Amino acid sequence: MNIGKIALAALAFFAMPAASSWAADAANGKKHFDNDGCWQCHGYGGQGALLTGPQISRTKLTFDQFLHQLRHPASAMAPYEEAIMPDATASDIYAYLEAMPEPPQAKDLPLLYVTKSK
Amino acid sequence: MSGTGNVDRRGFLKGAAVAGSATIAAETTARAQTAPAAPKAAAPTAAQMAAETQPPGEEEKLTTEKTGSDFMVDVCKTLGIEYMAACPGSTFRGLQESFINYGKNSKPEWLTCLHEEVSVGMGHGYAKVAGKPMAAMVHGTVGTQHSAMALYNAWCDRVPIIVFTASAGPIEDRRPGIEWYHTVQDGAATVRDFTKWDDYPWSLQGFAESTVRAYQLATSQPQAPVLITADGKLQEMALTKAANAKLSIPKLNHPTQVAADPNALRDAAKLLVAAENPVILVDRYARTQKGVNDLVRLAELLQAPVVENRGRMNFPTTHYLSQWERSGPLLAQADCILALEPSDLFGQLTRVRDQIERTFASKARPGAKVIAISTHDLMVRANYQDFQRYSAADVSITADGEASMPYLIEAVQREIGDRKSAFEARGQKLLAAYKGLADRARAEAAVAWDLGPISSARMYAELYNQVKDLDWALLSDGGFSSNWPHRLWPIEKSYQFMGGSGGGGVGYQPVAALGGALAHRDAGGRTAISITGDGEFNMAPHTLWTAAHHKIPYLTIIQNNRAYHQEVMHIQHMANRHNRGVENAVIGTTMRDPNISYARIAEGYGAVGIGPITDPKDLGPAIKRGLDAMKSGQPVLIDAVMQPR
Repeated sequence: MNIGKIALAALAFFAMPAASSWAADAANGKKHFDNDGCWQCHGYGGQGALLTGPQISRTKLTFDQFLHQLRHPASAMAPYEEAIMPDATASDIYAYLEAMPEPPQAKDLPLLYVTKSK
Repeated sequence: MSGTGNVDRRGFLKGAAVAGSATIAAETTARAQTAPAAPKAAAPTAAQMAAETQPPGEEEKLTTEKTGSDFMVDVCKTLGIEYMAACPGSTFRGLQESFINYGKNSKPEWLTCLHEEVSVGMGHGYAKVAGKPMAAMVHGTVGTQHSAMALYNAWCDRVPIIVFTASAGPIEDRRPGIEWYHTVQDGAATVRDFTKWDDYPWSLQGFAESTVRAYQLATSQPQAPVLITADGKLQEMALTKAANAKLSIPKLNHPTQVAADPNALRDAAKLLVAAENPVILVDRYARTQKGVNDLVRLAELLQAPVVENRGRMNFPTTHYLSQWERSGPLLAQADCILALEPSDLFGQLTRVRDQIERTFASKARPGAKVIAISTHDLMVRANYQDFQRYSAADVSITADGEASMPYLIEAVQREIGDRKSAFEARGQKLLAAYKGLADRARAEAAVAWDLGPISSARMYAELYNQVKDLDWALLSDGGFSSNWPHRLWPIEKSYQFMGGSGGGGVGYQPVAALGGALAHRDAGGRTAISITGDGEFNMAPHTLWTAAHHKIPYLTIIQNNRAYHQEVMHIQHMANRHNRGVENAVIGTTMRDPNISYARIAEGYGAVGIGPITDPKDLGPAIKRGLDAMKSGQPVLIDAVMQPR
């Protein structure tokens, strides 16, 4: 699935209420996910990368936890303060992350079983 | 003036100078009225004719059968050096000619490189695979300067390379101009901070002794590059039979390596055996398969998890005690940590939060005992800060980790006593945890499986599927691709992984890959693979020409994220820290508009170029095509457009 398909999937969810007081817009969230550098550390699919940032696709964080991590990262993540990412935008990105489609199951990907098998 | 006919050049110039500007207007007028006469060559004078056609007063000998540079070749041949890599430079013209003719261009064989960083840097990869150094020759001054970063990487990575440079010799013998520019009083000064030893021998006997000494020092632990300056006059001097007979080449003896003090090992063994949760941290420990096997033996004896820092291939990824993915919780509960050849013990035990106020926290639990076995302190210099932050171990053993391991195993065996059943119970828990690691890796690899740009997990899975039945070897580390090779691949043999750059000098990867591939070719034709970042590749794309020219096959997959991605993240971080947003972070950090066509670059250098590949489904077939092309001895490049990490 490419980014475009993800966007369509995300659009289907944009009306879902986020755990925040804003009417979250997942499509707008995708736009900011792409433009505000989230994918640089977490990947286009929010899959995460071992040395740069964890998986955020279908995040398990609450919105408050998510917002706190943005504003006051526990790690070396670049801080996103209100001045450059308003709460409403953060809410949209959160909605986009929540709306990301479920990834394929590893058991359905035979190539992952020809690798390290022991 | 043209009518004079026999005015020589010097006389013409003198006359012109005297005539001065007053004649210019008149000449211009005359030229406007008549077509210019065809220039005539001035006839030589009788003295000139004599100088050019008659023999000198006494017979001058302009040729010789044997030179100092021939002897220098003899010296290199006694050391068993297989290859001499060089980009040509006139300061070593005598030596180059001797190697390719007198030395029959064999052992060492002359390899043509297009930049001195390649000549030296390929030796970095070669030595890590072959287990012995190759040599490089770099031009005086400018060549040494070009080679400096490659030398620094090899120094930091503790890898031997025998480097020669040259100088034009005494002032009365130098050609004006260029030989002065390319001569330096102290040719090694540029790189002395990161070479183990250097010398500028002033005699051929000195060259022999210094070169053998340099080789011995380079290959003793801790290993590092060395540099010898070959004087231009020594190279080109005629060597008479009588003078040659007086020269001798010392025998190379490989000294034993420094093994640990038995008393210190006994103390270490007591701590390890008594510990409830020991952890083995390993970095640049193993040089050989025996080193790997010994570490497996120690880990199994103790049933202790091994946290691999991937400086070398130290421990099989398929062994259940390979638990580097759990380093956080393991270190947090460890009561005893054994560090084997850590390049940065402080860094391995410390978590840094890189914000305006940097904060540091220990990864290890308070009171944990730390044992370090390392040659780190044997090669520390003052200027470059590669020695890292000071970190005191409770038992600090200055010795070679691999050479000491059999003795540590013996010491642990003596101390085990009735602890065996406790160790077995610990081992069962670690086995269960290991199984969970594999499932977790697969689940995480699946997340961006079908996305384009291609995920690094998908790339490594597709690649392994194509090479699984071959005798493969990775020439790159996985640090810039989430360590997927260590998460997904069964890395079991010592030669299948060779660690990273050491000093982080960008350009290591394509260059070291060339040298590593050469060693794999000579070892029987292993399938050598380099995952090379686009930023790395752009530092030395011409390595592919050297590979094509010398028939060195390997597969390069360009991990093309169209950026110096590490720097993108740094600039994003700074922009956010300053509350300015990340919009401009791409300025100066990305390589877009236009996108670079790596496949076409490869083809231009005589390699096979494939791509760009953007759809993950196309990657497997592209890799298969590339591997097929390699069978004819060609280097192959696949441009894979990929996610950042």
